[in-house]
Amino acid sequence: MKKAIVSLVLLALTASLAVAQAPVVAAAKGKNVEIKLWTHDDANRGPLEKQFIAEFMAANPTVKITYSSYPSGKILETLTTAFAANQGPDIFNVASGSAIPFLDNGRVAPGNYKAVGVKNAAELEASYQPGSFEAVKREGDIYGMPLELTNMCLYVNKKMFAEAGLDAEKDYPRTWEDVMALSEKIVKRNGQIITRRGFDFRYDAYPNTFVPMVEQLGGQLVSKDGKTAILGDEAWLKVLQYVKDFGPAGKNLGSPTYTAARTEFDKNTGLVAMSFSGLYQEARMKASNPAFYNSKDWMVVPFPQWKNSKKSVPANYSGHYYMVNAQSAKLEQEVAWTLLNYMLDHGEQYLEKVAIVQPTQKLDQSAFYKSMPYSAVFSKDFAAAKIVYVGKGSSRLNTCLKEAFESVMLAGAEPKAALDKLRKDAQAVLDSED
Amino acid sequence: MKLSISPPRSLETKRNRWGWAFVAPGVLFFSTFSLYPILSAIWTSFHNKKLLSLKPPKFIGFQNYAKVLESTDFWNSVRASATFCLGVFVPIFCLSLLFGVLIASRSKGRRFYQMALYSPAVLSSVVTASVWAIMFDPRGLANQFLNGLMGTPGIDHRWLADATMVQVSTMVVYVWKMVGYYCILFVTGIGKIPVSVIEASIIDGANAWQRLTRITMPLLRPTMALVSVMIFTNSLKTFSTQYLFSQRGAPSRPINVLTLNIYNTAIVEQNLGLASVMSLLLFAVLLLFAWAQVKAGGSGEDM
Repeated sequence: MKKAIVSLVLLALTASLAVAQAPVVAAAKGKNVEIKLWTHDDANRGPLEKQFIAEFMAANPTVKITYSSYPSGKILETLTTAFAANQGPDIFNVASGSAIPFLDNGRVAPGNYKAVGVKNAAELEASYQPGSFEAVKREGDIYGMPLELTNMCLYVNKKMFAEAGLDAEKDYPRTWEDVMALSEKIVKRNGQIITRRGFDFRYDAYPNTFVPMVEQLGGQLVSKDGKTAILGDEAWLKVLQYVKDFGPAGKNLGSPTYTAARTEFDKNTGLVAMSFSGLYQEARMKASNPAFYNSKDWMVVPFPQWKNSKKSVPANYSGHYYMVNAQSAKLEQEVAWTLLNYMLDHGEQYLEKVAIVQPTQKLDQSAFYKSMPYSAVFSKDFAAAKIVYVGKGSSRLNTCLKEAFESVMLAGAEPKAALDKLRKDAQAVLDSED
Repeated sequence: MKLSISPPRSLETKRNRWGWAFVAPGVLFFSTFSLYPILSAIWTSFHNKKLLSLKPPKFIGFQNYAKVLESTDFWNSVRASATFCLGVFVPIFCLSLLFGVLIASRSKGRRFYQMALYSPAVLSSVVTASVWAIMFDPRGLANQFLNGLMGTPGIDHRWLADATMVQVSTMVVYVWKMVGYYCILFVTGIGKIPVSVIEASIIDGANAWQRLTRITMPLLRPTMALVSVMIFTNSLKTFSTQYLFSQRGAPSRPINVLTLNIYNTAIVEQNLGLASVMSLLLFAVLLLFAWAQVKAGGSGEDM
């Protein structure tokens, strides 16, 4: 009985502390403030953020926050059309590659540093890992807070390596040449149909994983001044040829029309031995296949390099930023920034319950982050990585990349022809954005 | 003294007023959701309008039209849409007519067969495309079925990977989804053929084949014309299957139909001016088909 009372008291105390922790916006006292927050669907993130919002509203009784989530494939379309009609929400999140049209068209409010609890942009930046605000920084001001930033490393199934007579600890791929050779050893087919893949690319991540392959060889997607597209023909041709050799018309080791490699990797049903993903994949694996997660049958290794790389380039990182609508009233903006700061101050909970990584110094140094398997591998790659191209026309450039790589891999185009078309299309994108 | 006598309200005037009252909601609905967007698209097509821009759009005359007509992407979309329309026309027309005749000739279970055929049309296009995308996976049912049928084990027919096959795949999905819908139109058309004509032909000794080819088919011509125009009109508006397949790794260029190009131009490129030009050109083609439809089958009442 005594134990139960103590537990209840502790629970009540914890609950009251949680409410007390939520900041009070002095300017909103006695004023009715309504905030609309739009984000993309996430079964784990939704309840967590709703809990933070409830705590925030308890501390600020005159503030009403409406939380709405949309399918991830539809959120950009929904936001764009809402903003076009000047009906955008007060708070919203967009992918790093899609932020630029919102920023360029003055749709995003600059950071309210006081509300975030810092003196200026520099102090805010210092509390995050370097480069975290590159996609949302304009003339010294910060226009968004990272919900997550993800870099990709290579997940390896040790058991499948062993079945192919390999020792993953020793034989894991360091180079792209290794990736191809190992894939050839592990792959199994029924005629032309692949029944077991050694490795397959991450086809929804051309800027994250294909562009670094080019950069390792000295090529570039866009010049530093942002005016010229596709530099370093030799590098591009080598990567396009590699992808062509990898695809169905070459050695037939993988293709974008098979189920995503990372999904099959988690199932551990012997279908994929290596796949790219972020640290968040560990939590997905833990949820979908705890036995595999808890086994010692998998490992994570750094992003591969070319044997003759000109420089070491890990996978480019990308992510999502929470932003505040510039058309919202000043008071709404202040409340919105305060709320964002409160929500995003719970990095460990986001990592534990949603499996997304916020690039704060605090989280990177936390014992919880360090306790996650292979987090050091991701951290080391992240420290040397840069964000995906987030300049003008980034979304359209992604489409150009997709078309170029698909044309060599699936349509049998020659790398030279694909490169010429890519250059023409990508340059047209940059020129039309001027 | 002059007497002013107002003319008595005629019955026709009263009826006209009631007529307007009944038509008004429809006119209002059409004006708000169809006419206004059309007029807005015409206005936008002459302006440099970016979706997120807060600046007032600049009038640029026919520049957007020139850009679209010079764009290889636009002509690729015209090719993709035309290929799709022609590719689905023959199978949909033949299959729906065949099923329509078969169902109409049955006295029992007619409703069941109609419902079974029509049910795919009720499914959401996105759900349909998702289910078929799983079947078109190299290890999926489509390869297994075709290889079993042709005795070619292990052949990957590259349903979503090959430039030609991905177009065939979108057509297969569309035909599967829409055959039931057009079949119902044929069943209705056959049902409207006067029974007395059929009975007279039976008395005259016509067999089933003669009745089909000499009575049913000729009297079904208005329905056939209407269905033909509707197949073209509706297939020009196809979008979900192409969108979903290109999201799932299929090459986008072969299936970049006009509607998908309009969507990408407006939402990804955020160029409303160019998207409006393409929409208006598509609208002009649809208008032509609508005119043909009216000519062919009236309002559909004769069907």
